[in-house]
Amino acid sequence: MSGAATQLPGAVAGPVIRAEGLTKTFGAFTAVDAISFEVAAGEIFGFLGANGAGKTTAMRMLCGLLTPSGGVASVAGFDVGREPEAIKRRIGYMSQKFSLYDDLTVRENIRFYGGVYGLRTTEIRAKTEALLGRLGLAHERDALVGSLPLGWKQKLAFSVALLHDPAVVFLDEPTGGVDPITRRQFWDLLYEAAARGVTVFITTHYLDEAEYCDRVSIMVDGRMAALDTPAGLKQQFGAADMNEVFLQLARGAKNTE
Amino acid sequence: MRIVWFLLEKEFHQLRRNRTLLLLLLAPVVQLLVLSNAANYEIRNLNLVVVDQDHSPAARRLVDKFQYTPYFRLVAVRPSVRAAEQDLLRDRADVVLVVPRHFERALVRERRADVQLLVNALNSVKAGLAGSYAASIVQAYQGEARPATVAAVLAGRGGLEVVPAYWYNPRLNYKTFMVPGLIFQIMTLIVMFLATLNIVREKEIGTIEQLNVTPIRKWQFMLGKLLPFWLAGFYQLSVGLLVARLVFQVPLVGSLPLLYAATALYLTVPLGIGLLISASSRTQQQALFVAFFFLIIFVLLSGLFTPIEYMPAWAQALDRLNPLAYIIRIARMVLLKGSTARDIAGPLGALLLLALTVNALAVWRYRKTSG
Ligand SMILES: Nc1ncnc2c1ncn2[C@@H]1O[C@H](COP(=O)(O)OP(=O)(O)OP(=O)(O)O)[C@@H](O)[C@H]1O
Ligand SMILES: [Mg+2]
Repeated sequence: MSGAATQLPGAVAGPVIRAEGLTKTFGAFTAVDAISFEVAAGEIFGFLGANGAGKTTAMRMLCGLLTPSGGVASVAGFDVGREPEAIKRRIGYMSQKFSLYDDLTVRENIRFYGGVYGLRTTEIRAKTEALLGRLGLAHERDALVGSLPLGWKQKLAFSVALLHDPAVVFLDEPTGGVDPITRRQFWDLLYEAAARGVTVFITTHYLDEAEYCDRVSIMVDGRMAALDTPAGLKQQFGAADMNEVFLQLARGAKNTE
Repeated sequence: MRIVWFLLEKEFHQLRRNRTLLLLLLAPVVQLLVLSNAANYEIRNLNLVVVDQDHSPAARRLVDKFQYTPYFRLVAVRPSVRAAEQDLLRDRADVVLVVPRHFERALVRERRADVQLLVNALNSVKAGLAGSYAASIVQAYQGEARPATVAAVLAGRGGLEVVPAYWYNPRLNYKTFMVPGLIFQIMTLIVMFLATLNIVREKEIGTIEQLNVTPIRKWQFMLGKLLPFWLAGFYQLSVGLLVARLVFQVPLVGSLPLLYAATALYLTVPLGIGLLISASSRTQQQALFVAFFFLIIFVLLSGLFTPIEYMPAWAQALDRLNPLAYIIRIARMVLLKGSTARDIAGPLGALLLLALTVNALAVWRYRKTSG
């Protein structure tokens, strides 16, 4: 984004995300069961699992939206349970629900989120132009976001999540329901961001997308059943593709919705 | 403050594109016109029974006074109070006027004379009105009686003994009495509903999650949500006062800046309650239900339709927590009586306490990180 430095503000040596025994219970139900992992700066980390496996819950804890019930986790060097507001300054987040305002125009949405993150007006203006140019949305700048096709909306939401140059961006099923061509373009944007040093944490149900990740974890019933590179996972499970890996793991799941 | 500005900008863009704007702009006018007519308690043709024990010209003139108004209709003249009481019991009379023997003589000699009013209290509102109407007629008669027939005798004070009811609304115009209260009732309903629904809607759509993951502060978020509806409240007050003045000819004798200042404080109470409700609700239905619950109590106990003094003790006690009751009292005092800041210090202090409590609770209840 606008030639952002590869050394991001708030970037820390070592892993950008670190979780140890991270747990979330809702009453007697354990949605996330003591997961442990590390994610390095600039990595694209895929988070897979059947519906109800606990992906969103884990992600919301890492974003400081949900207080963990147990374990520890840090993001960009700050503790998830104790310093959620410090984390929020350094991350971008695209929730599973659509997160821009349908009744604001493209430009108004960009301006609003830029302003909320404390960007200067000149900065917002420059970034808006750059962003619209890159997404090919220049002619739609005054269109209501609600009137855009889903694929465009998602690309826009992703760019808005990066507006304040976060160290990590969390994406919860950003490509759900998006056509294959637009999904491809979306991934091009992801690679560009990762190349600039942004850490990408993404959940998806598309197993072809899992192949694009640097490393993939597969959640089953709140536990992390596997974690490796796509090639490593295929080898480990003696599978031809990620689809087969996923099916082998998910077959034993109980919490599926 | 810069972040609050961005929040406000967003809210106004959204409001501009939303149909609720129309509601916000037009409702105060339409509702005021409709409600002030519906809530008109003026009662005409009350049945009047007279017991004239004096048979004097002064007594006859007093009875005539009653008949000249549209409020009373003379249905019978009875020889004794006892006979007239039968009319009350059988519901044939709403008011019995008893002019005692030596009424005229007392008026002239002792500079004072009493009449007796018996009021049928089956319907307490009607009874209160009938009594007040009658009292004001007697009072008006006193004003005329002095110069006309007994001017020479009555050099100083004196005349008829009456209750000085409705000093600040001498012609007993119900619109004068109701409109200031209605302005605030309508304002409260609209502003509180819209503020509550606005936030819960962001919850339902999911955009609030996106805001909660930004470094925005709680107070900034709340201020951003409060201010647009706070301003809407001022718009409603201004429109309401214009309608009151131009359509209903309500005399606005008091200080408008004082009323606006009181309103500035008042609005933070229903808005704070709206924030509190929306922070605790998941869906718009839930929020609407709770908001409705509070608003019904506020309105019924506001003193607008039933005078607070007529309410049972528990209701009067509950009214200490009713912001609407305070502001309606303030509005009537300032607009109709010209009360000063010192006069309304009591209710203002109560509003300040309510505002602080409610908004502190709202800030405490609103969570950017859930458990
Ligand atoms: N606030 C909550 N209270 C109670 N249970 C919850 C809550 N949030 C999530 N859950 C439960 O936790 C489990 C995991 O939910 P989560 O949304 O994390 O799954 P997911 O992996 O994101 O699924 P999907 O692929 O459908 O998005 C589900 O069974 C869900 O019902
Ligand atoms: Mg999910």
